[in-house]
Amino acid sequence: MKNILTIFIFFAIFTFGNFQPVKAQSGQELVDICSMIAGDEVTYLKDFPIKLDAAKPGEEPPTARFSVVLSKNTQYRLTICNSKDYSGQAIMQLFDNNRLLGTNFVVATGKTYPSFDFKCTSTGVYHIFVTFKEGEQGLAVSMLSFVKKL
Amino acid sequence: MSKYLIYILLPLFLFSACRSDKKKENDFSQEFEIPDSVIYEGNLEISEQAMEEIVQNISSPVEIAALIKSLGVPYSKDYLATTDYVDSYNTSYKMALGLGIYGADLGYQNMYNKTGSVLDYISAIKTLADGIRVGQFFDFTTLKRLVTNNQNLDSLMYISVQNFNQMDRYLRENNRGNLSSLIVAGIWIESMYLLGGVVKESPSVEIAEKIGEQKIILSNLMLLLRNYDQDPKFKELIDNLDEIQDIYRDVTITYEKGDPEAVEEDGMLIIKQNDKQFIEISNETMLQIINKTAEIRNKIIHL
Repeated sequence: MKNILTIFIFFAIFTFGNFQPVKAQSGQELVDICSMIAGDEVTYLKDFPIKLDAAKPGEEPPTARFSVVLSKNTQYRLTICNSKDYSGQAIMQLFDNNRLLGTNFVVATGKTYPSFDFKCTSTGVYHIFVTFKEGEQGLAVSMLSFVKKL
Repeated sequence: MSKYLIYILLPLFLFSACRSDKKKENDFSQEFEIPDSVIYEGNLEISEQAMEEIVQNISSPVEIAALIKSLGVPYSKDYLATTDYVDSYNTSYKMALGLGIYGADLGYQNMYNKTGSVLDYISAIKTLADGIRVGQFFDFTTLKRLVTNNQNLDSLMYISVQNFNQMDRYLRENNRGNLSSLIVAGIWIESMYLLGGVVKESPSVEIAEKIGEQKIILSNLMLLLRNYDQDPKFKELIDNLDEIQDIYRDVTITYEKGDPEAVEEDGMLIIKQNDKQFIEISNETMLQIINKTAEIRNKIIHL
């Protein structure tokens, strides 16, 4: 009887345990979620997958950087979506060649926005920087969408 | 008793162990195992990483088409490139350029929700994408269904733009950035052709300015293409685009810096840039640019 029980437990672990696995969120799922968060009124342009390791002690948090061409008289939306599989919360910053133009994390209020709009008035190359709060390990997708011509 | 239990549980175990996760193909780490004979092995003047920074969103057919539509310019299929010669595109170079051109045309048609001839374009794109072995990223079946049923046209735009991004990313990540830059060049050339066609029919300050600001875009595109100038076909394309760049010397772009401001409107954070950019382009210069671009574009589609 003891043997039967041992065999049953062994198989139960390897069979039923696998029927309901904890499924990792895929890149495409994140992109689709991000697209929904960006809203129906916008048109998807680009997505940037970001996977960063945790910051090493005493070092700056790792940062992902993407450069995009944005056009004058155009309103864009930058959206960020964090994977539920990691604790890291992404902070997105938009720079021109030398200045920070905007971020989804407002230090003064401590509020983190899932997206922000950028009303571009000058055609050129802009840089999107993404880092995870407190240097945590994280997985996210940053999405650039077209909102409207201004 | 234990024997019977094994007979019951063993198939369950095997079934469970053999299960595969269909969604796995979308994981970030996933890569297709495709033998690649067109990997670029020449010397790159700038690193692949630096190129990746340059290439993003250089040419956006969505934005060009949105501008044209926002000005109330009616849709015209006369601006579109014919798909008649697709089967004669027999090199990776021609296929990648063609992919860009038809991608831009698809964006234009999608923006106007004109599905009448979209099937021809998605078929052409599928043929060319398969030709350079990135067809697995172009969801032809879904796109064809959406077009045939004339349903969910927003999804048509979303899926097709995303498919192009996936092709682009795959090419860049697999040392085939040469083909990725040709697709970008094709999109740019066709977008310029669309702008030129529209401005000739319906002159507008906005489109003239859009053509003028392409001076900035073209310089980024050239940086990308020059990386492969050791290839004779690239050299020829670069030489052609150089002629456009020469004409662009007469376009003046000046700036006035302003301070960006952040405001919250209806719970949405909005950043206003407040810079000013002035673009000066004469009609004569604009026409020269349009004509030269059309010449290059027509040569490409009749390759």
